[in-house]
Amino acid sequence: MKIIVAIKQVPERDAQVRIDSGGKWIEEADVQFGMNESDAYALEEGLQLKEKHGGEVVVLSAGPERVGTTIREALAKGADRAIHVNADNLHALDALAVARILAEAIKPESPDLVLTGLQSDDIGLGQTGVILAELLGMPHASLILTVEKTDSGLKVKRELEGGWFQNIEMPLPAVLTIQSGGNKLRYATLMGIKRAKTKEVRRVDAPQSAGAPSSLLDGISVPKKQRSTQMIDGDARQAAATLVEKLKFEARIL
Amino acid sequence: MLSLSFTLAEPETFALWEKILLAALIIASAALFWRRFGVVLDRILKSKKDPGFHLGNLGLRVWDFVSEVIMQSKVIKQRPLPGLAHALVFWGFCAFALVTLNHLASGFGVGFLSPVGTFGRFYFWLAAVFALACAAGILGLFLRRFFVRPRWLGKKLSYESGFIAFLIFALMITYLAAFFTTDDTPAARTLWWAHTLCLLTFLPIIPHTKHLHLVLSPATVFLSREGFSAIPPLVGDEDFGLVAGQDLTQIVSLQAYSCVECGRCSEHCPATNTGKILNPKEIILGVRAYLNDIGPRTEEPLLGKYNSQEAVFQCTTCGSCEFQCPVGIEHLPILVGLRRGAVNTGTWEDDYGAKLFNQLERGSNALGIGAAERDKFIQKEALPIFDGSQEYCLWLGCMGGYDPKGREIVAAFARVMRHLGTSFGVLRKEKCTGDPVRRLGNDLVFQQLAEANLEILAQSKVKKIVTICPHCVRTIQEDWKAYGTPPPIEHHSEFLARYADRLPKQSPDHETIAFHDPCYLGRYRNVYDEPRAVAATAGKVIDPPRARERSFCCGAGGGLVFLGEETGERVSQVRAKELVDTGATTIGTACPFCNSMFRDALGASNEPAPQLLDIAQLVARSLPTDQHSSPESLKK
Repeated sequence: MKIIVAIKQVPERDAQVRIDSGGKWIEEADVQFGMNESDAYALEEGLQLKEKHGGEVVVLSAGPERVGTTIREALAKGADRAIHVNADNLHALDALAVARILAEAIKPESPDLVLTGLQSDDIGLGQTGVILAELLGMPHASLILTVEKTDSGLKVKRELEGGWFQNIEMPLPAVLTIQSGGNKLRYATLMGIKRAKTKEVRRVDAPQSAGAPSSLLDGISVPKKQRSTQMIDGDARQAAATLVEKLKFEARIL
Repeated sequence: MLSLSFTLAEPETFALWEKILLAALIIASAALFWRRFGVVLDRILKSKKDPGFHLGNLGLRVWDFVSEVIMQSKVIKQRPLPGLAHALVFWGFCAFALVTLNHLASGFGVGFLSPVGTFGRFYFWLAAVFALACAAGILGLFLRRFFVRPRWLGKKLSYESGFIAFLIFALMITYLAAFFTTDDTPAARTLWWAHTLCLLTFLPIIPHTKHLHLVLSPATVFLSREGFSAIPPLVGDEDFGLVAGQDLTQIVSLQAYSCVECGRCSEHCPATNTGKILNPKEIILGVRAYLNDIGPRTEEPLLGKYNSQEAVFQCTTCGSCEFQCPVGIEHLPILVGLRRGAVNTGTWEDDYGAKLFNQLERGSNALGIGAAERDKFIQKEALPIFDGSQEYCLWLGCMGGYDPKGREIVAAFARVMRHLGTSFGVLRKEKCTGDPVRRLGNDLVFQQLAEANLEILAQSKVKKIVTICPHCVRTIQEDWKAYGTPPPIEHHSEFLARYADRLPKQSPDHETIAFHDPCYLGRYRNVYDEPRAVAATAGKVIDPPRARERSFCCGAGGGLVFLGEETGERVSQVRAKELVDTGATTIGTACPFCNSMFRDALGASNEPAPQLLDIAQLVARSLPTDQHSSPESLKK
């Protein structure tokens, strides 16, 4: 089975972000970048399928030079080769444009399965994978926790709201967007990093005519701190009653 | 006929057939010795060369040799009675070397010591004194092994040891008895031949048994690596630690063959003592069995048949095994080496371990908490940011920056530093030093963390570091050296001890403090008196039964604090009970990991617990309140 895992490099979650002078993106020099979390789970799923059923895992990532570190990490964890699409300013593009770039790189590979995280930790549109399926003309399922290969295709488990799950059978080839937490992530090893040095990373340029953007980014902003402290007066019995009321109807956690 | 001249009796002449028989026996004995010893030597020499090892610091090596081998300091210090008995046997053997040479030479008529000459008489008498002591020593050791039977010697009685003891005893008795007869009596001749036979039987037994240590351990002690728990560098693209026979180095093989199976390592091992499968002695014997069966320079995995992966990952790296070992075996480079082999190749599968590694691949700390929480703590405590103008960089570490109790220790230490008027600052950004991943054998993440931190320190122009965590101290000072030059660092106990006379003083009957020596401060750094001097300003300091060099681990080290549930008893509870049983009102610690382990262990017990405080907290408590410079008091 040939599996392509599309991975995005995003600012580390610990990063203290500052908005750049254009107001539409962050100061990249300040932050460290790493693998998008749900993409890490997509990679893990791909590696496990390969280990069970054989085949090949190809990592695909679009972005500037810095994306190379994340690609190497994926190769170190066990991916067989990689495609790096050179592209700057991806953050200025909408999900459709990014999906087009990825689809162009995927088509010549004719994979059996395309995996990607369900959304990115930075912009969080959650659409790229789904649009990708449309562009590739493949069926898709989103929010996937586990994947099982059957004789006719796949059995997948989707996560719904409120602790519910949905089990789906679908044909191959297909696109799946993977939810975090379905598997346990393996760790990168020294041996993996050393072996990764000899693995192929093919660099291709992003297609020029990505088409007119369907939506335009207006600006980004840092969330305002919203924290208010309320003092509840009265004796213990009264205060407790008020507290329960507030927890029920204002905080809505009871 | 009994002579009372007390001169060593020797047969005056030997017949030709006796000479031929003697020569044949010597050749046979030496050949049997070499048949086994040659194989052992070949395996050691065929092992890989040790990367990073060089025979430097000869002065210290000679000193260690004199102290540990000649003076038997470790043998005696860690087990006084049997140690002394052993030393008597050893010294007896040393004194006997010349006697033995002369003995065999005299069989060919070329003896060089005359029992009636001045030197000869003197030396034979001297040797007789040693022989007497040696006989007493070996008798004592025999009684211990066969009648006292301490469990560290193993369940199985070693009859081979009994036979050796008999031979040594017989050697001494046949020598001593010769003082009670005269030359050329049948008794003298019988004694001479009995002595010879014992000697020539003993020689080939040496390399076939643990008595190989007679020959190897002097070399092992002399050729030890420099420093405690010295983890060798990985060299080249195919070195991932101890994966297979081809990774066993000459020093590891020499050490494996030197083990005398005394069980001191097991006796002090926190894992062995709490029902884990790890037994450091068995690890070394496992490597030896591997070398015997498979040999060096092979690709057969080291973990599996001969040593279990589970056992290797139960080690807290407390180092009591390495510290105790009288024959110079360095267990930690071997245990950590086996872990490196498993982790660097990805064969170790552990959910907690993988989680820790993933956290440290991405995040900044081993606790997996966002770095913003550290900033909040710094703001709350109004800790100054290090800007190059202050004397000290106060390194928070994961525990100091993120753990609630660790933070209390940092806050207390900061108050004391302010009280002393020492200028200090904390770094805006800090990553885990890599201690847990270093000990768990993840060289990839360790290198990333060490390099990132070294860069932060260089950029911030840090010249001196002080920290509350002995693990940070050790890792920064020793382990980071592989990747750069870390600034000098000291533990807060060392810092505070220098100012002990300026710290507030409580009367000794104020409270009793049972001080727990952290492994990474004591055995790893040789700092024992400083934390006691600091704690002594707050009350009377007492030692638990196992203290100082023999301190018993809290169970956190070696990355184990991050690895989930233990099998068997919990190390922390065993140690906490020992501390509680001292009857002290306070348990004094000097490591945030120990503190955290004991906090949990005391909390799990129904007994009323003594208070648990770091030495910095013991001091900070008694600071005059008007000098509080914590933000709360500033607001008031």
